[in-house]
Amino acid sequence: MRVLIADDSRVMRQIVIRTLRQAGYDWWDITEAADGAAALGIVRSDPPDLVLSDWNMPEMTGIELLRAINAEGHDVPLGFVTSEGSPEMRALADTEGALFLIAKPFTAESFRDAIEPVLA
Amino acid sequence: MTATLLTSDLVLSVAEEVFAALVDGEEGKLTPWIGAPMPFAEPVVAWVDLAGDWSGRAVLLTERSTADDLARALLCLDPAEDLGDEDLVDAFGEIANVVGGNIKSIVATNGDLGLPHVATTIPDASGTIIEEVLLSWRGRLMIVRVLHLP
Repeated sequence: MRVLIADDSRVMRQIVIRTLRQAGYDWWDITEAADGAAALGIVRSDPPDLVLSDWNMPEMTGIELLRAINAEGHDVPLGFVTSEGSPEMRALADTEGALFLIAKPFTAESFRDAIEPVLA
Repeated sequence: MTATLLTSDLVLSVAEEVFAALVDGEEGKLTPWIGAPMPFAEPVVAWVDLAGDWSGRAVLLTERSTADDLARALLCLDPAEDLGDEDLVDAFGEIANVVGGNIKSIVATNGDLGLPHVATTIPDASGTIIEEVLLSWRGRLMIVRVLHLP
């Protein structure tokens, strides 16, 4: 399972990776991107099996990344890991085809709850 | 819900949840501050702006040494390990980002959350403070302030 984590915070990328391990996904092969544009470049050149993306990032936001992935026809699913989890944002993420939205702060349990159904 | 219904208990609840999940891995390390606040000798401030149907700012304020230890806790570093300015800015800004994002979910239905900023001086205080909560993180003062911006 090759997973791309897009977040402009290096600290948050480390916390996401640490939490994924705590959730039991220590077998995942993780790649990191510091913003949406960098993530889109990786999706184009070496598509991962899953993207976990922040929403607010410089250069290209997470929702712009998702729209670009869909518009370019990449078969790469994306889930958000973001500091906002309002119903409006969840509805927008769902409309654009996101797999899930995990709101920060998160726990290993909230990661499992979101990820297990899409792995099944 | 609107900002007028934002209470100190809600701000405390957001901060407690953020610190328990992301910083400490357990509840109880962040509690209300008891007594008068002491002035910061070397303050560090982090904030995010909320723009939309309600415009405001979420601010975290603490002592530099406290922010350093907060960053070490986030990065799982030993207390004696060196911490670069870049890591401090990243970690403290990200805490403000998550606190601000959760406050935005309470006070606004539409709009954008800005990117976090970190500085040694409090940003332009043209807004109105609507909530200010004094907290003790591992016994050290941490202030969370929510402002309504014009």
